[in-house]
Amino acid sequence: MAGTFTTKTKKVGAGSSGGTEPAADAEPDADGRARSRKRPGRAEEGGLTWRLRLRRDRSLILMTLPAVALLLVFNYAPLFGLITAFEYYDPLVGVLHSDWAGLDQFRALFNDPLFWGALRNTLWLSFVQLVLFFPIPIALALVLNSVTSERLRNFIQSVVYLPHFFSWVLAITIFQQMLGGAGVLNHFLAQHNLGTWDVMTDPHTFALLVTSQAVWKEAGWGIIVFLAALAAIDQNLYEAAAVDGAGRWRRMWHITLPGMRGVIVLMLVLRLGNALTVGFEQFLIQRDAVGHDTADVLDTFSFYYGITTNNYSYGAAAGLFKSVISLLLIWGANRVAHAFGEDGLYRK
Amino acid sequence: MSQTLTHTLNRPALRPDRNKGRPAWDEQPGAAGQTLKGGVLLLVLAVVLVPLWIVVLTSFSTSGAINRAGGLVLVPDGLTLDAYRAVLGDGPVTRALLVSLVITAAGTLLSMVVSVLCAYGLSRSRSFGHRTILMLLIVTMFVSGGLIPTYLVVTGLGGYGQYWALVLPGAVSVFNILVLRAFYSGTAADLIDAARMDGCSQWRILWSVVLPTSRAVTAVVALFYAVGYWNSFFNVMLYMPTESAKWPLQYVLLQYVSYGQSIPGTTNSGFGSLHQQSAPLSLQMAVVVLTLVPILLVYPFMQKHFKTGVLTGAIKG
Amino acid sequence: MSIAMNRRAFVNGAVAVAGAAALSPLLSACGSGSSRSKGGTNSKSGLRAALPDYVPGQAVKPDIPSVHGAAGAFTDPGFLTYPAKQIPTVSGTPGKGGSYTAVTPLWGTIPPAGNSFYQAVNKALGVNLTIKPANGVSYDTIVPTMTASKKLPDWIQLPTWWNAAFNMGELAGTQLADLTPYLAGGKIKKYPNLAAIPTFAWQVGAWEDKLYGIPCGASGMSLAGHVFYRADILESKGITADQVKSADDYMSLGKELTSAQAGVWAFGDVWTYLSLSWGLPPGWTVKSGKLVHAYELPEFLEALDWHYKLAKSGYVHPDALAGNVNAGATRFYAGKELIQGGGTGAWNLSDHQSGTAANKNYRRGAFNVIAADGRSDPQIFLGAATGVVSYLNAKLSPNQIEELLAVANYLAAPYGSTEYTMITYGVEGVHHTMVNGMPSYTDEGKKYAQPTTYTFLASAPQVISNPGAEQVTKDYTSWFARTAPHVYKPVFYGMNITVPQRYATAAAAKSVVDTVIEVTHGLKKVSDFQAAVSSWKSSGGDQLKNWYQTEVLDKYGTGQ
Repeated sequence: MAGTFTTKTKKVGAGSSGGTEPAADAEPDADGRARSRKRPGRAEEGGLTWRLRLRRDRSLILMTLPAVALLLVFNYAPLFGLITAFEYYDPLVGVLHSDWAGLDQFRALFNDPLFWGALRNTLWLSFVQLVLFFPIPIALALVLNSVTSERLRNFIQSVVYLPHFFSWVLAITIFQQMLGGAGVLNHFLAQHNLGTWDVMTDPHTFALLVTSQAVWKEAGWGIIVFLAALAAIDQNLYEAAAVDGAGRWRRMWHITLPGMRGVIVLMLVLRLGNALTVGFEQFLIQRDAVGHDTADVLDTFSFYYGITTNNYSYGAAAGLFKSVISLLLIWGANRVAHAFGEDGLYRK
Repeated sequence: MSQTLTHTLNRPALRPDRNKGRPAWDEQPGAAGQTLKGGVLLLVLAVVLVPLWIVVLTSFSTSGAINRAGGLVLVPDGLTLDAYRAVLGDGPVTRALLVSLVITAAGTLLSMVVSVLCAYGLSRSRSFGHRTILMLLIVTMFVSGGLIPTYLVVTGLGGYGQYWALVLPGAVSVFNILVLRAFYSGTAADLIDAARMDGCSQWRILWSVVLPTSRAVTAVVALFYAVGYWNSFFNVMLYMPTESAKWPLQYVLLQYVSYGQSIPGTTNSGFGSLHQQSAPLSLQMAVVVLTLVPILLVYPFMQKHFKTGVLTGAIKG
Repeated sequence: MSIAMNRRAFVNGAVAVAGAAALSPLLSACGSGSSRSKGGTNSKSGLRAALPDYVPGQAVKPDIPSVHGAAGAFTDPGFLTYPAKQIPTVSGTPGKGGSYTAVTPLWGTIPPAGNSFYQAVNKALGVNLTIKPANGVSYDTIVPTMTASKKLPDWIQLPTWWNAAFNMGELAGTQLADLTPYLAGGKIKKYPNLAAIPTFAWQVGAWEDKLYGIPCGASGMSLAGHVFYRADILESKGITADQVKSADDYMSLGKELTSAQAGVWAFGDVWTYLSLSWGLPPGWTVKSGKLVHAYELPEFLEALDWHYKLAKSGYVHPDALAGNVNAGATRFYAGKELIQGGGTGAWNLSDHQSGTAANKNYRRGAFNVIAADGRSDPQIFLGAATGVVSYLNAKLSPNQIEELLAVANYLAAPYGSTEYTMITYGVEGVHHTMVNGMPSYTDEGKKYAQPTTYTFLASAPQVISNPGAEQVTKDYTSWFARTAPHVYKPVFYGMNITVPQRYATAAAAKSVVDTVIEVTHGLKKVSDFQAAVSSWKSSGGDQLKNWYQTEVLDKYGTGQ
């Protein structure tokens, strides 16, 4: 019986379908031929010329145009700035008239041990965050969803996302005041002669520290999308499963998780694509506490060695490198998703 | 939601009160599970509420209390409304609030229309060109021309000092479109097919089938956009840095945060002493609190849609 | 690109610039087409022709007169009260009714446009000057976008600590007006209040032997800062500044004052200021005719080693070691950190008010300038006369420039004059009232009359005045008088050197600067610093030194 739920929910993905009566599933097939003229099913796809498909889908394409137009103007047009990565760019002289550098900026970048250090830190922090941070909002959403008292659930929901609105400066100040060498914890330890433990300045535990800061600040906000996914699951499925004797865990495994799967995979793919982005301000602020060897990530590297030196081109080269790798990563993540039979960013 | 009614009728009379809201078919959780869950939730609440308390308390503290505490205040010492008086007492805040509300409302509306249309346009699998357009979108998530080229494009279009410069450059969030699209592609494929057979146009399907069945995600994405517009200040800094009469709230509040801050580089000049007396930390915290208030006010309205997200049954029936 | 060697910023480690990356391929392949890569500096003879004469003002007599020190420096005069009789220094209105816009950074709330304070000042000035303050916190982002799109206002404040970010060396030649024809030599006498600004202050806004900037709030003796202490707490333990004569004395103070259990640590961040006790120059120095960088000096290693030991001693507040400098002042007020370095600007009325709000006995003191070994003659280098310089737009016509210079002359009126009172405190009865002989802002004044508005366009040389806290003025001026004999002008003083783009990374020496901070926080060892320096030298530092030697030192001298 549980198997039925799986297939059904998989097909509807994160959305919902009524489908309590078996007839609903069969309906479209019964009418397959009638539909094929207007909107063909998957089987007929190959037989259509692109002209016909364009004609058929023109309203869908029309719908995407406003967004595409905005992106073309405000995201694609400024891409001429990428040229600066191949120049000795001087904003006062302009992109057109700055000296040409060819690949010199990249050569310098790849010979720069600080760049590789920053890349290594970024990948390591990204990995730690993926393992320790990524599952937390999902778990929290599930726990919250299982709270039966509506008032309590609403209260918790409307509190946990608040740290998202704290700035990093404030978040880190709070951590410092709680866990720092002169903070509440260490003050307590010192007064009871239990030694001290300054986690805020320890380079060895830095990855854990920044991940816990990120969890504290962003996990509550991160659950919102998953709550929406949960809300989209048809409650009837639960009841039917319960009636059939499926227990709590079985229902979570066979209904809840499949219902959230589309969103989880999307988030995972995006997270992997953003593996080179782990944060900026958070590392800027804590750089002096643990040292640049530990705290420099790609974005802060571009900032320190590009922007603040006015060596814009060097920063642009680092940025372009990051863009290319990110695109490769998201392409790869999407391929992996497809290999597991998931949609990822788009259907295979 | 006729099921709920049925359950209410079927509910055993002896059920303890705290199980209100638990459907009849749901079994009682075990004591160990309950304890664990309670513990987790308690911990979550504590790590959020304690700092929140500190922030709120500091915002109400006198400069003496802050300077005695050496930073954020953990225990009430001296209390005052000065910080709020300083922020709210001046004229610019009222006007800036209005500007912010209009920008947020108009921007969110625009972004939602554009994003919902785009997301639905891309959500029908095997539709013509959707993969190309998707890739066009995704590239912009990772590739950027940089700050100054973007600035030159916007000002080249006449955006300097214009309100549209605060809205249009960031009106499309590809992330939000992808989220919407993920929900839409999962939405009731059979319903859509049925509607197509009835001769409904795609516009009609979007309006009367897809949107009503995906209220939760619509609410979430609208919240993302609204919060983005509400909190944004970077574009203000770029496109109207000196037009103080046009500034939205966040940028005005930012001024208060820097109020009385020592001026970098003048630490050894007399300009350090030209500042009016102030308690920057309590002001900063008051600004944080004031930022939270509108979000606290709006959130319940959004939360409502989490429960009414599923209407499939109603539509089908 | 131009890195003006802003000494103070350099010492502070605040010039956050590029690291000592292995950039040899970049260095050899650097293009030469754009003006950016050529570099430039002020020369002694060229400057002499461009700089204005100095005619000190005599209008207002200070309570505590200036003291002359070494190297031509003189301390800022002190005022214990506001001059009872406000003297006018400008007759009539300086303007001719022209319309201009001015942009200044403001760290505070921006008053509404066209408010009564602006109107009153405009009336007094006789021009329609639209003041457009921008957020000081993001000013370093705002200005480069203005210059990239050539949208500078008629008059703008460009603080020197952002010289590099603004690319001043190039901006001066292209978008900013050359004031030399109007102010050089005796021509400045047309503007008596501007003539009362000391000559060396004008050097701060001079680029390649031409005068561009108007220095605001210049000081006759500008120092990087001092090592401050909680005078009230230390004196209650019987410790006075005179007892601290060497680095060892500091270390024993650490032991005496620190009690982690009570939440009190002796030290905050002191490296930037205390390290000067080892006689360190701000950057380059000359040893037997050859340029040497501070990083190459054995004294630097000694200073670093001492600070490493200090960081490891447990006498430094953990938050300071965690790089949390912003809350440093609050820790000082709270008495959790008793000794900390800071700029001289920290020692003022507002500090006194903040401190006494926490503890009514609060008093700030500064230790004497010492030599680390306790025997040598203490030496401390002079900083630039000001960091606050305003510029006019190159597009203005000569008539417009003359009109604005006349306005600047009004704005630069001395402390306590009629004009000073107007631009700082507004109109009596509207923006301020006299309380105990001192102008005090009314509610309207608090809202509209931001004191750093017009003073950021032009202002008289600094004075020390802390009405209501005379003790602060007395402590401050006496410390300065004691320090005055120990100052010297460092190598390349006031030369505004624009380093060619290809040396920008080496000039910033970011990785060395980072390592220094990390050693003083106890995260890295002195040997790590030595490694960072040798990698800096081999990856461009030596080439930079060579450039300074041949292109600056050999051609133009030290500027001292």
